[in-house]
Amino acid sequence: MIDTLALALGHVLLGIALLRLALRGDVDDDPRIIALQAEAKARRKSTNRAVRRNADVAAASEHGDD
Amino acid sequence: MIDLAFLAFIGFVLVLGLKRPFIWVLLYVYIDILAPQRIGYGLITSIPVSLIAFAAAFGGWLLLDKAKTSARFSFRQGLMVLLLAYCFWTTQNAAFPEAAQFKWEWVWKALLFGIFLPLTLTTRARLEGLALVLVLSIGTIVISTGIKTVLGGGGYENLKFFVKDNSGIYESSTLATMAIALVPMIWWFTRFGTVFRPHWLVTGFALALTLACFLVPIGTEARTGLLCIAVLGLMALRYVKRRVLFLAGGAVLGLAALPFLPQSYYDRMATLGQPSGDESASTRVAVWEWTIDYARDNPFGGGFDAYLGNKFTYVMPVKEVDGNTVSVKYKPVTDEARAFHSAIFEVLGEQGYPGLAIWGLLHLLGLWQMERLRARWQNRSGEAEAWVAPFAVALQLASVIYIVGALFQGIAYQPVMLMLIGLQIGLHSYCARVESLRPKEPRTAPARRPSRIRPRRAVTA
Repeated sequence: MIDTLALALGHVLLGIALLRLALRGDVDDDPRIIALQAEAKARRKSTNRAVRRNADVAAASEHGDD
Repeated sequence: MIDLAFLAFIGFVLVLGLKRPFIWVLLYVYIDILAPQRIGYGLITSIPVSLIAFAAAFGGWLLLDKAKTSARFSFRQGLMVLLLAYCFWTTQNAAFPEAAQFKWEWVWKALLFGIFLPLTLTTRARLEGLALVLVLSIGTIVISTGIKTVLGGGGYENLKFFVKDNSGIYESSTLATMAIALVPMIWWFTRFGTVFRPHWLVTGFALALTLACFLVPIGTEARTGLLCIAVLGLMALRYVKRRVLFLAGGAVLGLAALPFLPQSYYDRMATLGQPSGDESASTRVAVWEWTIDYARDNPFGGGFDAYLGNKFTYVMPVKEVDGNTVSVKYKPVTDEARAFHSAIFEVLGEQGYPGLAIWGLLHLLGLWQMERLRARWQNRSGEAEAWVAPFAVALQLASVIYIVGALFQGIAYQPVMLMLIGLQIGLHSYCARVESLRPKEPRTAPARRPSRIRPRRAVTA
């Protein structure tokens, strides 16, 4: 009787937990990591843009010196 | 009937796994811990549910899991691979090949799953899901044990679990150790759980489950369990805010529980202070001495179950009752093929010094990594990161309690502990990924000490 009660309680909780996990999107894709990846991508883009702009400015000033 | 209920549950989880293959990993964890195929007695015993779950878990990860690209192979997984390979080698050269082969059959599976598990733990939800399934699977056994203890069904070697073969997690001292080890994790869920959000019902369940965990060492009269409770109390002092209140509360609770404990419990715990008065305790010391000598002669280990070769004689007090008179006589007792009764001596005897070094490093690195995570993440706020440091603390405490328990039991390859190691590796890798994506904080140059060299005076013409 006690065993049956404990097994039933444990399995009901396990069943609910697994069902909730199966219905969640963040089991396969972590929202924190996705957000950080997006931030990193945006940072890289802005850094590249700045580098390119600096290079253009340097090239233009060289031409100006000539 | 119970077989059908188990099969229906397993079928339900297999269907859930079609949507999220990671669920099959959790199914294997549940089957490996609770062993429904050993609880049932009909149809389920003839179906290889464990094999099916493992095939689903591994196959699902390999073929369907899109998150596997972000998995990392860590140094500790490498250590487990090394331990697995070394165990294979010692099994081929074992002193008792048949017994060694028998133990190898389950050890390699437990180690392989321990190596595989961290590869699947790529998100916070997965880490939490595994911790929850661990807690609820062991919790199911613990709830039954707790209720039986309260209703007076306890006693050394008297308490009946779901499975009555005294092996794996169903060995009383092992269950007591792992139940106490999971207490900090249970309380983590009351603050940071996302599957079951913090709620008074969750806190109430955690309180009842913690009580049941503490009742396991009492119900089974496992001395190691009492030691684990003491260690948990001592370690918790490091993290609680009101230490004096915590100590006073613990003392009051302990004193209040004393009148409800049976005499047999006091008798058994009394042997903690006088190990020579108990055969189980006396043989431990003798086996450990034998193992040290054995490792001196066989530094590369004797393979699994090398203890079968031991034989020793020691002196033990034996009570003799003659009417109203009880006399104690010291008699020599000869014992042979006594188990190691300690994970450290188990690994030393079976895998020698190289195996012990790998096993020890695996556990010590876990303690260190969790400590580093705690230190680095403890001031993080916000729901996305505040959970990490307490999770690391719960895993670190679980490790410490396991190691203390393992000093007195041969549980070096306990699958639940290998899963906890998997969880530690998974958490460490997850945090490393998050750290690698965060913008690097600009390093501030250390403040320069004022120079002792006098500035040169300006030379004026």
